[in-house]
Amino acid sequence: MINALLAFGAVLPIAALINALIPGKYRYIWLAIISLGFYFALDYKAGVVLMASILVTYGAGLLIGTIRSENRSFAGKAILFLSIVISVVAMLVFRSGSILGAIGISFYMLKAIGYLIDVYREDVDPERNPIKYSLFVSFFPLILSGPIERAGNLLPQFDKPANVDFDRLRYGILQILWGLVLKLFVADRLAIFVNRVYAAPSDNSGTVVFIATLFYSIEIYCDFAGYSYIAIGAARLLGIDVMKNFDSPYMSGSVAEFWRRWHISLSSWLRDYIYIPLGGNRKGIFRKYLNILIVFAISGIWHGSALTFLIWGMLHAVYQIVGYLLMPARNFVVKKLGIRREGYSHRFVKAFLTFLLVNAAWVFFRADTVDTALTVLRKSLEVTPWIFSDGSLFTHGLDVMDMNMGVLGIIFVIIDDVINYHGVDLREKLVHEGIWFRWAVMILFVLLILIFGIWGPGYDASSFIYQQF
Amino acid sequence: MKKTLFNTIKCILFLAMLAFCVTAASILVKRKDSDHKYADFFDKAAQDQIDVLFFGSSHVINACNPCVLFEDYGITSYNMGGHGSVMQATYWELMEALNYTTPKYVVVDTFLMQKDYKFLDVMEENATEDDPNVALEQLHLNMDAWPTDHIKLAAVTDMIQSPLRRMEFLFTMTAYHDRWKELTKDDYEALFGRGERNRMFGAEMRYNVERFPKTYPDPEGWVGLETYTVGEEYLEKIIDECQNRNIGVIVTFLPCSATTEDKKAAISAEEISAKYDVPFYYMLDGDIIDLYTDLNDTGHLNALGATKVTQFLGEILMDTGEFEDHRGDPDYDDWQEKADAFYRELADKARESDNLYQQLNYLSVRDVSCVIYINEGSDAFSDERFKNLICNISGTDTFRETDGPYILIRDQSQGKEYVYEARDSGELKGVKTAMGMLNYRPVEHMFRLLYTDEDPDTNYLYDDEHYEYDIQIIVYSQENGEILGRSYYKSYGNDYEQ
Repeated sequence: MINALLAFGAVLPIAALINALIPGKYRYIWLAIISLGFYFALDYKAGVVLMASILVTYGAGLLIGTIRSENRSFAGKAILFLSIVISVVAMLVFRSGSILGAIGISFYMLKAIGYLIDVYREDVDPERNPIKYSLFVSFFPLILSGPIERAGNLLPQFDKPANVDFDRLRYGILQILWGLVLKLFVADRLAIFVNRVYAAPSDNSGTVVFIATLFYSIEIYCDFAGYSYIAIGAARLLGIDVMKNFDSPYMSGSVAEFWRRWHISLSSWLRDYIYIPLGGNRKGIFRKYLNILIVFAISGIWHGSALTFLIWGMLHAVYQIVGYLLMPARNFVVKKLGIRREGYSHRFVKAFLTFLLVNAAWVFFRADTVDTALTVLRKSLEVTPWIFSDGSLFTHGLDVMDMNMGVLGIIFVIIDDVINYHGVDLREKLVHEGIWFRWAVMILFVLLILIFGIWGPGYDASSFIYQQF
Repeated sequence: MKKTLFNTIKCILFLAMLAFCVTAASILVKRKDSDHKYADFFDKAAQDQIDVLFFGSSHVINACNPCVLFEDYGITSYNMGGHGSVMQATYWELMEALNYTTPKYVVVDTFLMQKDYKFLDVMEENATEDDPNVALEQLHLNMDAWPTDHIKLAAVTDMIQSPLRRMEFLFTMTAYHDRWKELTKDDYEALFGRGERNRMFGAEMRYNVERFPKTYPDPEGWVGLETYTVGEEYLEKIIDECQNRNIGVIVTFLPCSATTEDKKAAISAEEISAKYDVPFYYMLDGDIIDLYTDLNDTGHLNALGATKVTQFLGEILMDTGEFEDHRGDPDYDDWQEKADAFYRELADKARESDNLYQQLNYLSVRDVSCVIYINEGSDAFSDERFKNLICNISGTDTFRETDGPYILIRDQSQGKEYVYEARDSGELKGVKTAMGMLNYRPVEHMFRLLYTDEDPDTNYLYDDEHYEYDIQIIVYSQENGEILGRSYYKSYGNDYEQ
C-alpha cells in the first residue's frame, strides 16, 4: 500500500484544481472518479471490497425506497436488516485483515448503514444516480478516517456544490495546515515517548508512565482531530462542507459531555441509529443505563476486536452511569458547600476530573493487552518526581529540545481549545485578518511542519491511529 | 476580471514568499559537509582552473592532496572522493563534475570495485540492517552539493531503489529537517553564503599512525575477481565517458592494508585498464609508502602517506607533458595561499602534538627545524615504528644502529636542510643553526649538554621538571632560532606518555 498521507497530498491539489474548472452539476462525476482512483491506488484489493459494498448498499437503498413507497413495512425492514447484517459482517471480516484488509471500511460502512436507515425512515430519498452514490460512500477526503457524514448533508451538496471562492480556499488551507501541525508537530512527537514507555511500562518509573498516559491522551486527540481537520479542509477546497468532528473535548465537564465533543460524527451516529432506536432515555432509568452500556459496548467493538477496546467502551458507559447515580449526592455537596456552578474554579475541577477519567480509559485503548493496561495504571500511581531533575525524563526518545517542542505543541492545542470552547474559531478569525498577518501565519505553519514536524526517512506518515479502525 | 487578476497576483506573491522561506529553511537545516567539500570546486570550475580530478572512496580523500600537487608541481586539482563511494557513486560524481568542468586528466581509484550490488539502499544479502543507511548517509556527502536537476535525478534513480529514499537526495530537507536541534553559527552563516569550506580542495588529511598495519596474502595465481561485478561495469563506464570527452584517465589502486579480495579487485581493474589502454598503478608494490609510518589506520593514509602518494602521482602527471606550472601566476594565488596554509598547519602540528608518533610524522612531512633527543635505555630503541619515523626524518639508518643516547638536529636556516646526528658517546661541536652554534655532549645517563657558543649557560636538554623523560623534541624557528615548541615523552614499551 502506498503512503496514504503522501498520496492524499498528491491527489488533493489536482482534484481541487480540476474540480474548480468543471461546471457545478458535473463535478460529482470528477470527484467520484478521483475518489475511487485514490482508493484503488492505495490498495486495489480493498477497492474491490469498496465497490462490492457500494453495489450492495446502493441496491438495498433502491429496494427499501421502492418497498417504502409501496408501504410494505415488513419487507422493507427485512431488507434493511439483511443489508445491515451483510455490511456489519463485511466490516468485521475485512477490517480484521484475516481474509483481506480494507482500509477505512469501518468508516464508510457506517456511512452506508446510516444512509440505509435514513432511507428506511424516509429521512432521505434513495439515491438513484449510482455515480453520486459511489461518491457519497467513497468521497476521498473522508474515506480513510471519517468524519462519518450523513446522506442528508452530503448528497444534496453533490447536486449543488459550493463555489470555491478565496475565503473558502483560505479557510480550507488553514484547516489542513492546522491538522498537519496537530499530527506531525504534536501527535507524532509525543508518540515517540508513548511508544517507548508502553513497550515496557514496568521498566519505567511511575511518573514517566503517568506522563506517557497524559501524552497518549493528547496524542490520540491531535492525531485524530488533526486528520479530521485535514479531511474537512480538503472537502472544503472541493466545495463540500463536512460536519465538525471535535469540539474541545478535553474541556468537557462530564463524560457525557465529552462524548458530545469527541468524534462527534461517530457518537451522534451511535445516538441516532442505536441509542434512540433502543429507546434512549424514554423507557425508564434501567433501560437508559442498559442502552448506554449497549451503545458503548458497540463503540468499543467498532474500534477493535481486542478485549481492551471493549473495556475502554464499557468504562465510558460505567463512568456515565455512576455519574447519573451520584448526581443527587454531587448536587447535595455543591449546594452545602455553596459552590458556584458557573464559576471558573468549579468548571476547571470538573474538566480536570473528567480528563483524568478519560485518561485512565485511554490506557486500555492504547495497551496491547489488559495486563499491560493494568501495569500502566498501577505504575502511574507511583510518584517519582525526581525524573524532572535527574534528566531521566529525557531518556525515553524525546531529548530536552524535543520535549520542549512537545510541550509547546500541547500549549498551542490548549489555547486553541479554550478559545474554541468559548465559541471562537481561530482559523475563521484569521481568514478575515489582514493579508500580511494571514500570510505570515500560513508560512509559519508550513515552516513549523517542515522543520519541526516528525517526518522523513524512517517515519511512517501513513499511520494515522484511526485508520486502523 | 480585475479582481481575478488581482487575486492571481496575490497567489503568485504568496507562493513566491513561501518558496523563499522554505528554500531558506532548507539551506539552514541542510547538513553542510557536501557544500563545504565542493564550495571551491564550483568556484574553480567556473574559472576553468582545474587540471585534474581525483575520484574514488575515502582512500582518495585521504591520499590525494591538491595542496601538495600545486606546491610541488604547480598542477591544479580537486579531490572528488566520497566516503564509502562504490564505483557507481564515483561514476555519478564524475557525471556531475563534468557538467561544470572538463579537466585534462581524471584519476580514478578502484577500491571497492569488487562490490556487486546496484542499489545502495538494498546492498548485498549479508548486509546488516544499518549498512544501507550508512551507505546512503555517506552518499549525501557526494550528492548534496549538486543542484536537483536531470543528472541528479538520473543518479539517484540509478543508485537508490526506494522512491521515498530518493526524495531525501532530491529534496534534502526530507533528510535534514530534524537538524534544527543541532544548528550552529555556520548553519546560519550559510544562509548568507558565508559558510565554512574545505581548504584543501576536497581532500582531508589524517594525522595518526597505524601501529599495527595488517598484511594479507596475495590472491592465488594472481587472478582477479571471479565474476563481473557492478563495480567493474561502472569503471568501464567511467573510462568510456572520459575517453569520449578526450579526457586522460589514470586508474589506481591506492596503498592501504589491502585484503586478498581488494587485491583481486585491483587485478581486475588492471585488466580493464589494459582493455581500454589506460595506465593503471598498483601502489601496494614498490616503495611508494612505508606501511609502518604512512597509514592513519588500516584503510587510510595519513598526511605523510598522502604526500608521498600525491608526489608519485605528480611525477606521472608531469610525465604526460600536458600540464603547465601555475605557480607564480597571480590568477592562481588562491591555490598558493591554500597550499601554504596546509603546510603552515603541518608545521604547527609538528611543533606541538598530543601524540609522539603524530609529532614525528608531522616533522617528517615538512621542513621544520628541530632537535630530537632519545636517552640511553629508552624503549624507543626497540620500537620499529619509531625507528622508521626517525629514519624518515634523518634520511639515514644511524638510529637503527644504537641503543642511545641519540641526538638529531635538523636545521633549515641556511635555505637548505642539514641533518646532524650523534649516537652513543659521540658529540657534536659547532653545528651552525638558527639557534646559534650548537654543541652537544652526553655527560652521564641523566645529564647531557646542548648549548650554543653564544649562550653556553643555557642547557637545552635539561630541566628539573623533566629530567626523567627519555625523549625530548625541540622545534625552533628557522628564521631567528626562537624555541617554538618543546615536548617531553616517557616510553613504556611501545607506548609514550607526554
